[in-house]
Amino acid sequence: MKVAVWLIVLAWFVLVIVPIIVLFAFSFFTTEQFRTVYTPTTTTWVELFSSGRWEVTLRTLRIAMTVTLIELAVGFPFALWLAKGRVGKVGRAVCLAMLTIPFFLDVSSRTIVWRAILGQSGLVNTVLMGLGLTDAPLDWLLYSEVAVLFGMVVTLFPPMVMPIYLAISLIDDTLLEASNDLGASPWQTLSRVIIPLSLPGVMAGIVFSLGPALAAWVEPGMLGGGFVNLISNSIESAYSALRYPVVAALSAFVILLLLLMLGAMYLIARRFGDPASSFRVLRG
Amino acid sequence: MENRIAFARVAPISPKLEISHAPVWKRLGKWGGFAMLGLIYFPLLWLILLSISRNPLGGIPGDFSLEHYRALFANSEWHMPMLASLVIGVIVGLICAVAATIIGRALPALNSPGKVLFLFVIPLFVPGMSMGAALLIFTRAVLGLKLGFWSVALGHFVWAFPFALLIILVVTTRFDHRLVEAGRDLGASNWRVFWDIEFPILMPGIVSSALFGFLMSFNEVMRSIFLRGTTETMPVWSWVQAAAQQSQVPIIFSLASIVLLITLPLLCAAFWLLFVKLDKS
Repeated sequence: MKVAVWLIVLAWFVLVIVPIIVLFAFSFFTTEQFRTVYTPTTTTWVELFSSGRWEVTLRTLRIAMTVTLIELAVGFPFALWLAKGRVGKVGRAVCLAMLTIPFFLDVSSRTIVWRAILGQSGLVNTVLMGLGLTDAPLDWLLYSEVAVLFGMVVTLFPPMVMPIYLAISLIDDTLLEASNDLGASPWQTLSRVIIPLSLPGVMAGIVFSLGPALAAWVEPGMLGGGFVNLISNSIESAYSALRYPVVAALSAFVILLLLLMLGAMYLIARRFGDPASSFRVLRG
Repeated sequence: MENRIAFARVAPISPKLEISHAPVWKRLGKWGGFAMLGLIYFPLLWLILLSISRNPLGGIPGDFSLEHYRALFANSEWHMPMLASLVIGVIVGLICAVAATIIGRALPALNSPGKVLFLFVIPLFVPGMSMGAALLIFTRAVLGLKLGFWSVALGHFVWAFPFALLIILVVTTRFDHRLVEAGRDLGASNWRVFWDIEFPILMPGIVSSALFGFLMSFNEVMRSIFLRGTTETMPVWSWVQAAAQQSQVPIIFSLASIVLLITLPLLCAAFWLLFVKLDKS
């Protein structure tokens, strides 16, 4: 049995860790006439930002961060209510199941329906015009940055809520009672007890929604209508041109952006309290 | 004593403490989340309604008919991708269940389970596109292999396994090891202890992890795009059709509705089994 365990660990290492290392290594190669040149240079990285992709990167960052902030603003209070509000056992189980089920559903078929809802003759425009709020259908609802943003906010809600819920539900109720008994206002309990203790969950939630948002591909494809180019579209076009080093550099760039954001988050989190201490709870 | 009463008057302590004494915030949190859940599930309902409408591209359901389902069944183009997805899904589900059971049983007994668990959940932190690209470069450019079913299955396995493992851990961490000791004391062999005692207790977790592995694989698009070579899976086929021509969209609506109507009850059953039935026993 031990042998099987270590075989799986080894296989996993080869299948997951090695490809990620290779990905980073490949970003330092170049392509000439559809062939990869295996001499380490930084040309691919330099070209990455000179060929007008800077704009694409900024747009991706802007959309991804907006999405993450919206998720956090809606997700944190919801997770707090779900974990510590007076929710019945059944109600909580139903909410959790409803949050988990979308992980197992096809993103593209869920997203393509928004075309029918947000389109010129779609539900939203029909209702708006029926109510006389607008004379002509709103055309910025679909095939626009707003549509892409909206689609991502809907898809990435469960990945934000789940880890925050887990972290908050691990907080002992007696800590909250103690805080209250010592005369803390609800706001003080929230900012000094709940938020510092839920930081690992919040950070995991940010990774789980920021990562997919930075690499989002279904939403810009389905709801952007070719008008909203994100990093993923650059990766795809480099892939069809067989320019593997560019694919590698862009993919590695997404991972690096994610790590950078996480590092920044960690530094901000340190101002609230000691984030490492909350990991200790998980370890113990 | 007087001080205490004065304090109580200033800041009344509720009988059972809740996060916020200001109900506005509580209500905002609750309804904000419900609104999001609504936005997640409303398109699914709309999808099914549109799939039985005569003109789904019009955007408003109505004039119900099953003509797109008839068109779907008359069309055979989706059979191969569907078969490919089913086969890959079954393989990924089975491997996930077996591997997750082995690791899930061993993990709680390790000295530093946290580190090993982290190793296994790394794919959750890497965006799907980056992971697909990493596997593509590793298999295609470094190893020089020809992509096909196996590479799609590989990509799906890497994606599905963390979920399968987390599900198995729900049952293995609750498992009472005294049962195994009792079995041994009564003279059962290791294999018999596993088969007669451990396996039946872990069964719901194993079945769920296989099911979830299957579903993760069946619905996966982003990694498949990179790793498919020339094979087409079901979601990739729908994706290509939807992107290429609007006239195919009604059929895709019907197909997605069928998949949804099969998937949702399966998921609900798995959740019920894992979290309601197990909690009672």
